[in-house]
Amino acid sequence: MTTRLLALAAAGILLSCSARAADMAIGFTVDAVTLDPGNYRARDTETLLRLMYDGMTTHGPGMKVVPELASRWQQRDSLTYDFTLRKDAKWHDGSAVVADDVVFTFTRLMTPGAINGQTSPRKDLLGPLKSVQKLDENTVRFVLDKPWPVFPTMLTFQEVIPKAFAEKVGAAGLATQENGSGPFRLLEWRRGEQLVLQRVGSGCIDHLIVKILPENASRVAALLAGDVDIVNELPVDSIRQVEANSNTKVAAVNGTRSFFVALNNTKPPFNDVRVRQAANYALNKQLIIDRILRGRATALNGVLSPDTFGFDASLPAYGYDVAKAKALLAAAGHSDGIDVTLDTDGAGKDMAEAVATLLTQAGIRTKVAVGEGTQVRAKWLTKGTREGDMWLSSWGNGSLDPIDIFDPTLHTGGRGNSSGYSNPEVDRLLDAADTETDQEKRLDEYKQAQMLVNRDAPWIFLWLPQDIYGVSARLTGFTPSPDGRLNLQDACVK
Amino acid sequence: MILRRLLHLIPVLLGVTVITFLMMSATPGDPAEIMLAGQNASAEQVASLRHDMGLDQPAAARFVHFIGHALEGDFGQSLFQRRPVVSVIGERLPATIELSVAALVMSLLVAIPLGVLAGVNQHGIVDRLATIGSLLGVSMPGFWFGILLLILFAVRLRWLPVSGEIDFSALPPHVTGLLLIDAMLAGSWRSFVDALRHLVLPAITLSLPMAAVLTAVVRASMQEVLRRPFVSFARAKGVPEWRVLIRHALRNALLPAISVAALETGSLLGGNMIVETVFGWPGLGRLVVESIFQRNYPLVQVAVLLYAVTYVLINLAADLLYMALNPRVRL
Repeated sequence: MTTRLLALAAAGILLSCSARAADMAIGFTVDAVTLDPGNYRARDTETLLRLMYDGMTTHGPGMKVVPELASRWQQRDSLTYDFTLRKDAKWHDGSAVVADDVVFTFTRLMTPGAINGQTSPRKDLLGPLKSVQKLDENTVRFVLDKPWPVFPTMLTFQEVIPKAFAEKVGAAGLATQENGSGPFRLLEWRRGEQLVLQRVGSGCIDHLIVKILPENASRVAALLAGDVDIVNELPVDSIRQVEANSNTKVAAVNGTRSFFVALNNTKPPFNDVRVRQAANYALNKQLIIDRILRGRATALNGVLSPDTFGFDASLPAYGYDVAKAKALLAAAGHSDGIDVTLDTDGAGKDMAEAVATLLTQAGIRTKVAVGEGTQVRAKWLTKGTREGDMWLSSWGNGSLDPIDIFDPTLHTGGRGNSSGYSNPEVDRLLDAADTETDQEKRLDEYKQAQMLVNRDAPWIFLWLPQDIYGVSARLTGFTPSPDGRLNLQDACVK
Repeated sequence: MILRRLLHLIPVLLGVTVITFLMMSATPGDPAEIMLAGQNASAEQVASLRHDMGLDQPAAARFVHFIGHALEGDFGQSLFQRRPVVSVIGERLPATIELSVAALVMSLLVAIPLGVLAGVNQHGIVDRLATIGSLLGVSMPGFWFGILLLILFAVRLRWLPVSGEIDFSALPPHVTGLLLIDAMLAGSWRSFVDALRHLVLPAITLSLPMAAVLTAVVRASMQEVLRRPFVSFARAKGVPEWRVLIRHALRNALLPAISVAALETGSLLGGNMIVETVFGWPGLGRLVVESIFQRNYPLVQVAVLLYAVTYVLINLAADLLYMALNPRVRL
């Protein structure tokens, strides 16, 4: 009897060890907060929801905005866009995606109090969208309040939901159930542990299991153990280990988050442009990129990443030049150097210490002050007290359009303008570019604004880190995307 | 008597509610800002979200609102999941219960025999090993120990899974949410084995500090009891040695161990967070810590209440056990 039990146990263990050939798993850092595409704001939730739900548009190769549920769109005038839906688009329950679904989705997002008396946290991602109307069964018209050239781009952030399903299950049902039109349907959501998805239609993999692994070491261990085929946010410290393993490799792509040190432009010593320029010359950022970020970042000389519309590769670079930094400091009346504090949260502590050490060597004697993230952010928000000298900060730009990063961080009074920078000419150029529908003119306006910002140096321009993934060697058909999406339609495991 | 102890819960819970609320209110940070900050929201959106979260109300009004609704059984909405707090916590509770009970059982199974052996063979090899083991167990950070186990048993040897509670293909039908029990109810051997395999490493990691402390306590207590006159008397009477040890010595030696076990079970609740993070275990500890960072007030409030109730009930159970083992003690 005991032998039989042991044999059964061994069989059970072996059975649960064997991987099913057509299944693949992902080690992902955070669980979705909800499955309701209208009731969240976290980017990680968006990444997971996008496996199940489609949008009107999405990012194609090279981050080009392409139709997804739509087959095409037409801009009637600067305020009006007509979208035609794909005729073959179906919800997972088999019903067709129709104009009523799109109208319902966007009305729910735009209308205050539409979700059980609460307003969608995604409302302001729709900018000046005024109305959405059904023209016929397959055509929808979006009308804006004012010109907003990034509208098709911003639609990539919204997932469309089926009206009938949403009305049937309500907000509570949408939060835990799914009926999307994306490549995977939900089989099981074990909160905090895993999402089990099934491929819809033809595809190489049958099941996709998203395992929630917040701890870096565990995520890497899962990859090395062959437990998962992709891990996101691979720590740079683990790159060598993953590369050394014959069953795993590293895949990376430029991210969308620009890093910088916000200098307080509203008070001494950084209210003097020479001191700000000195700080830029004083920092050997290439050394940090090479040694700490293991080369997995691109040095920036402005706010925009190389993949963003309007990026100007010809911006003058602030090369590492201690003599020049000291000369600029002396010209500004600081021949003995300056004493300043660099604010950071716990996550940025190591990097802040590296930056501080290098600045100190060039006469900008920098102390690092580590605070709790929320408190530090509150101190440096536009409406905050802005008493600090420097803040190690960053800004994400998922749309890869300047409107989503340039305006908030560098326009006078912008909601993320932590440095208090203000240049009326930059404001004028940004205001013009925001509503300019002629893309050539718009490009030129952003280039001019970048040149002014580069000269004014409101920040120490730092870098754009790569998004790094660990992937198994048996996986094919997966290329990381700068927007963080997991495009697994063509993924295959051998 | 038990009823009186249970009635004591009322002022305890009220006190915990007030203190938690005051501490959360005094902590800087705005959940609406946190929810939207990563996505660069507009001021209007932040204001609208603060209104939806009820944060535009004064703290006193929010407190009265919370208490009033809580008395009716409505503990409010989780600010981030935007679903009732009770549902969000309820989904994560079974995993934590399963892990904590497994760790408790594992600690007792290791600590009692080891402590007794070490106590009986003072200065012997088992005693020395138990002492060193206790010291290591208490000193080793759970986080580091967990990763070590993971690398050895999941990555190198591949005997056990890296993360999670169960393989999805082995999932038994949901009855209690406690997977081992659900697997037994479903009569599924495969589900049971799979759930057990997932449970082993997190439970060992969580049980280590408790087992270490308990071993030391049982050992010391056993050594002390064995020196008592009634033990010598029993031996002199010719009572068999195993009976002396089990019936006379261990029964008395367990008394301090019960108090320590009750206190340590409380610390299991805290230790859960680290273990749940390392092993991707879908429990309450991780949810609560994430919620604290997000300033998810209603969820933290209810979770702390739940912890308080659990702690009080564990101590009551310990007292009852103490009473059963030592009839001189009355509640």
